[in-house]
Amino acid sequence: MPEVQTDDPIQRKSLSTAILVSSFLLVLSLVWAMEDEFFGLRPWRGYQLRFTAAYSKYLKQQIPKQENALKAIESSPRYQELLAARDAAQKAAASRLAEIDAETRAVNQQQADISDAFTTARGKVQALTYQVELARKGSSSRASREKDVEEARAEKYTVEAHLPGGKIGKEELDFAALSDKFVSLKAKKAELTLQRVAVSKEASDLSAQLEEYKKEQLAGLGPEQLRSLLRASADLPIEIRQINVNPSNVGLNNFGSGGLVDRCQSCHLGMDKAVVPVTMTVTKADLGVSKSHDAPFTSHPQPELLKAHDLERFGCSPCHGGNGRAVSSVEKAHGRYEHWLWPLYHSENFEAGCQQCHSSDAWTQYAPVLNRGKALYRSRGCIGCHKFEGFDDQPEQLQASRQMIKQLEQQKKENELEVPRLNKQADNAADNDTAHALYAKATNLTVTISKIDARVEQLDRRAESLSREAKKVGPDLKEIRMKLHKEWVPYWLGHTHEFRPATKMPQFRLKQDEVEAIAAFVWQSALPGPALPAQPAGNAAHGKELLQTRGCLACHSLGEGANSVGGDFAANLSRVGEKDRYEYLVRWVHNPRERTRPYCPFEKRDLGPEDYARHGLPFVFDLDHSRCPNDGHELEVQQPTVMPNLRLSIEDARDVASFIVTLKRSNASYAPAPFMDDGNLLEKGKALVRNYGCAGCHEIAGFEDEGRIGAELTTEGSKPIDRFDFGRLTEVAKRGIIVQADGSPTKKEEESWYDQRGFFLHKLVNPAVFDYNRSEATLKMPKPNVTADDITALTTFLLGSVDPQFPPEYKYLPADQRRDIQEGWWIVTKYNCMGCHQIQVGQPSILQTLPMYQAENKANLPPALTTEGARVDPKWLEGFLKNPAQSATDTNRNGVRSYLQVRMPTFSFSEGEIQKLVRFFAALSSQQSPYMTPKLEPLTAAERDLARGLFTSKAAPCLKCHATGNPAHDKIASAPNFLLARERLKAAWTERWITDPAKIIPGTSMPSGLFRREGDRWVFSGPLPASFHGYTKDHADLLVRYMFQLTPEEQRALLGRSPGSNGAGGAN
Amino acid sequence: MWGDWRQLWEIVSVPDNVPIVALLFLVPFYVWYAFRQALATDKLIVQLTSDPQLAKTHHRKVFPWKLGWDREVHVWPYLLRIEFLAAIVITVILMVWSITLNAPLEEPANPNLTMNPAKAPWYFLGLQEMLVYFDPWIAGVVMPTLIIVGLMAIPYIDVNPLGNGYYTYRQRKFAIGTFLFGFLTLWVGMIVIGTFIRGPGWMWFWPTQTWDHTRVDFAVNRNLNQVLPFSWVVPDTAWGRGIFGGLATGAYMVVAGYLMHRMCVMTDFAKKLYNRMTLMQILTLNMLLVLMLSLPVKIVLRLVFRIKYVWVTPWFSV
Repeated sequence: MPEVQTDDPIQRKSLSTAILVSSFLLVLSLVWAMEDEFFGLRPWRGYQLRFTAAYSKYLKQQIPKQENALKAIESSPRYQELLAARDAAQKAAASRLAEIDAETRAVNQQQADISDAFTTARGKVQALTYQVELARKGSSSRASREKDVEEARAEKYTVEAHLPGGKIGKEELDFAALSDKFVSLKAKKAELTLQRVAVSKEASDLSAQLEEYKKEQLAGLGPEQLRSLLRASADLPIEIRQINVNPSNVGLNNFGSGGLVDRCQSCHLGMDKAVVPVTMTVTKADLGVSKSHDAPFTSHPQPELLKAHDLERFGCSPCHGGNGRAVSSVEKAHGRYEHWLWPLYHSENFEAGCQQCHSSDAWTQYAPVLNRGKALYRSRGCIGCHKFEGFDDQPEQLQASRQMIKQLEQQKKENELEVPRLNKQADNAADNDTAHALYAKATNLTVTISKIDARVEQLDRRAESLSREAKKVGPDLKEIRMKLHKEWVPYWLGHTHEFRPATKMPQFRLKQDEVEAIAAFVWQSALPGPALPAQPAGNAAHGKELLQTRGCLACHSLGEGANSVGGDFAANLSRVGEKDRYEYLVRWVHNPRERTRPYCPFEKRDLGPEDYARHGLPFVFDLDHSRCPNDGHELEVQQPTVMPNLRLSIEDARDVASFIVTLKRSNASYAPAPFMDDGNLLEKGKALVRNYGCAGCHEIAGFEDEGRIGAELTTEGSKPIDRFDFGRLTEVAKRGIIVQADGSPTKKEEESWYDQRGFFLHKLVNPAVFDYNRSEATLKMPKPNVTADDITALTTFLLGSVDPQFPPEYKYLPADQRRDIQEGWWIVTKYNCMGCHQIQVGQPSILQTLPMYQAENKANLPPALTTEGARVDPKWLEGFLKNPAQSATDTNRNGVRSYLQVRMPTFSFSEGEIQKLVRFFAALSSQQSPYMTPKLEPLTAAERDLARGLFTSKAAPCLKCHATGNPAHDKIASAPNFLLARERLKAAWTERWITDPAKIIPGTSMPSGLFRREGDRWVFSGPLPASFHGYTKDHADLLVRYMFQLTPEEQRALLGRSPGSNGAGGAN
Repeated sequence: MWGDWRQLWEIVSVPDNVPIVALLFLVPFYVWYAFRQALATDKLIVQLTSDPQLAKTHHRKVFPWKLGWDREVHVWPYLLRIEFLAAIVITVILMVWSITLNAPLEEPANPNLTMNPAKAPWYFLGLQEMLVYFDPWIAGVVMPTLIIVGLMAIPYIDVNPLGNGYYTYRQRKFAIGTFLFGFLTLWVGMIVIGTFIRGPGWMWFWPTQTWDHTRVDFAVNRNLNQVLPFSWVVPDTAWGRGIFGGLATGAYMVVAGYLMHRMCVMTDFAKKLYNRMTLMQILTLNMLLVLMLSLPVKIVLRLVFRIKYVWVTPWFSV
């Protein structure tokens, strides 16, 4: 650079300060870039460092604890005893072991001595033999090569061998001698090894026992394991930890085109099996992290779930949501930003992840919230408007099969016309061949007609089954003229939740004129008759007792608000008296499935006596008389309600109804409703009923074939957010502005709720919010009657209802017994079996929770069905489910437990439902089907005497509690009749039962400890009759065999001898 | 909803739009800066031409030459050190930018669902905006081709020998004016419209107006032949539309061509240049100018008069 001395500013002005400053900034930005590269963009590095520190600290705390625990175990007498025994065994074996070891050493030495010579000789011989085999047989070259082999075999090798005594001698050995010696040494060595194992067996067994004992006694991992974990965690490489799943079938989702890549464990290190073993759990408290946003370190809180869902196969994000590949920030990784379509589920909704694979389940283990959501979706009638794949689709199936019947009948008619036409053509045919062909065609058509008949007949049977299964959530409105007080109907429509706060019916947003029109239409379109017979008044006090004891409270509840007692599966009865007519209630209680008129889906009308009279038939229609007199197809002969028939006598039904009509508020009065008979409202009412989809839940005249009016929700959770109708709240939701009940925005802002979850939450609280500021209210959805928990459950269910991210083979569609369980739950939840019965261990029935079934009254509960499949013969169960009274005539009782007040009602299940239930129970108890009745050894005369002795012994007075068929005794009995056992029970279960009933049903009144284990047989633990001396067989088995071969005569004979039973009755 | 400043902030703060926000400030700044230089040169040119004596010593415009100074300043180090400084500063800016704003990646593409608004990268927003005014064939194919062809043609139609190597306005008024109109007004203007003004449904939202996805607009778009007084005479048939449109477009070409010609010969200097051009050069220049002018004309027709197309044929529409 030239020396500058001028004052030319271009030359004189120095830029060095500017360059220095900017260079400094450049260096700073470089430093920043490095920091960003290592930590800013990779926050997981920080997490891993912090995890390692916290985890090491935890392990260091654990090690001394476990060491102390181990020391305590080691000083326990049992351990010392084992230790002493092992030491003694080791000592005893020591001298022999030393001998064996010395011998082994010698053999090894000898082997080593000849090893070189032997392998050389063997190699030579084998190579030359190969050459021989290459030459043709009989050729001269072969002969010469064979000679070479002979020479090789004869060659002598000098071997320096260790002789006993430590000297070294020389030996000359040929190939044969070498190989003999080698083989014999090998055999000797094998023998010595076996001897060694045999001699040290006792000591090594005891050592194993010691280790086993330590493992059994010590809770958690041993100090050695912990130490190795500690070492591993100190050396833990700071790196991305990922799960990579490459299923065969990949789509557009977390399982993107490269398969699933989940890097969640890069921060959630505790989920990594390699870091925290599956046998260990680590909580926030263990690691000393408490802040909720800084604790990604715990191990999986439900390890059981991971056992069923291997991380290597399922990853994390497909179940939990979130962007599994992202590691740049918590927000990105959790997918909580607008550009990720599958955000992490909120903690209260995380069970939504189960739904995508378990959508075929009505009940999924470990997912109580989801299960509740599904149950609500059915029971609250969401399904009435919103189709959902897999949920009750009998109406659609019924429609389809009826459509099919119509088509087939049309085809049949055409064929019938075609046959004579063809025959006529054949008669007039020009030549023989044509005639034959035409005749053959006519014959074929005739056969086709018969095939059509067969198909129609099958379709009719299917329709029968389906119409038994198809239920509506709400009551049949065709009967309201008989059922309800006229003035109450419009009140109910306008004040649904006020009248009955726990009702399933949602509150529609109706103006007064709409209420009047709908009420008038429903009233006027209802059946006019035939009128119900007048019923004399019953005994309300007895009715109340029946209502409380027959099991009605498993589904229904009594009392208002906080005083309500009973299940919430069906209506709260506290104000029924204000609305229902007595005569109708009597009929309903007597048989809720009874209809006034059957409905013919082909003629699309309700049939009356005149239709039957035309065909000379009595006006009788029930499950056995379900064909239409006009067209021969299936009728709807039952009310579409899940309420079963309790088989009460008509007198009892009157008593119950008399009690129910007294259930009302004293000041109840309803304004007169003259508009109910205004014919001018019919058209308007009909249009409104159609508009609001009332027929989704109710049977309404003229709307029997009405479809569901709402959107299908099967994949609602993955519907693009733009397609949700947020209305005027779109921008409000995006900004997270909180809205009031009517949808008007407040000033407060929170997290944006412009997502599926926000939509569901707001829609379920009050669907009207999305009508906010619209010039016309357009949304039809009524306000569902749900609590905050219900809303969470439903939201979880809907969020999980997505186009699955998993490839189809991940869907839970088991082909084995688990499928029976899956199918069974749909029926169990549909009919609320769990209202009365306990089915799952740890899941109490509704009745179990009621005050009247506590303490000593537990004996009045219906039986627990936790082992039902193992207990009863499936064929018997089938018959029992069809007819729980077990009798065609004497139906006002229980078939098995006649002593129970609670009544197993008749559900009129369809054939398919019964099969599914039977398979369900079998599968729940891991029973194979079909069930083969095992052959029981017949009793000898001596054994029969012995058994009689046991049966009537004072220590086990079986007949004191078990029913005998004598009405006087059965009143106080608390167990079923033995005569049922052969048909009903499985012998193996019965034996398990009588030896330890409390193990199967805790709290049962059947006494435990009747038998004790003696060697490999059960022995009666009471004082044995003298005749038992010398009987060496199993006593429990004897009793079971006797029970299964019991005849009524034998039982009567027994009764005479039994100490606890009514002997006089038995003699009758 | 008006006065929605948050909406404006949301648009401005999107990483995607940072270059455009920068554009809003940088383009005017550099235009101003270039003009300052150009005007200074122009002033110097006037001085030097009027005083030949001065020209011998005084030909530096920012720091006029003084006695004892070098007559010429070397590139090294006096220019290069400034360029080096600029390179460092730009590197710092780019690094800080790349650290603070990540690539605006969006959700996995869903072929069943288009985002709304679906916007092109910022440098193509002008093209996308053009789709509002012409049919896709014209806006997407013909116009971009013409832009490129026109840019390529500049050296062959530019006969002005002045203005090489220094900033000047006086000597290249026409070239600078055309550039400012074509690039600033049309290209940058349309990018700005595409970024800040076009919201969901590609509807026109003024700044601070909420981008409401559920907004419903009522707009009737007519073709020119359906507008009074033409609708009285022109039958609304394929032939009627085609012939009328052709005539109307032709009329525009003639009128605009004449106006452009008048503009090109407005000054004596321009006339002199004009005389040096061949017929081919004149025609090419004129055609390009007329086509360039068609864009603002069409924007006005469309936005102000709600006229969709002038010339409708089964093959293309203009």
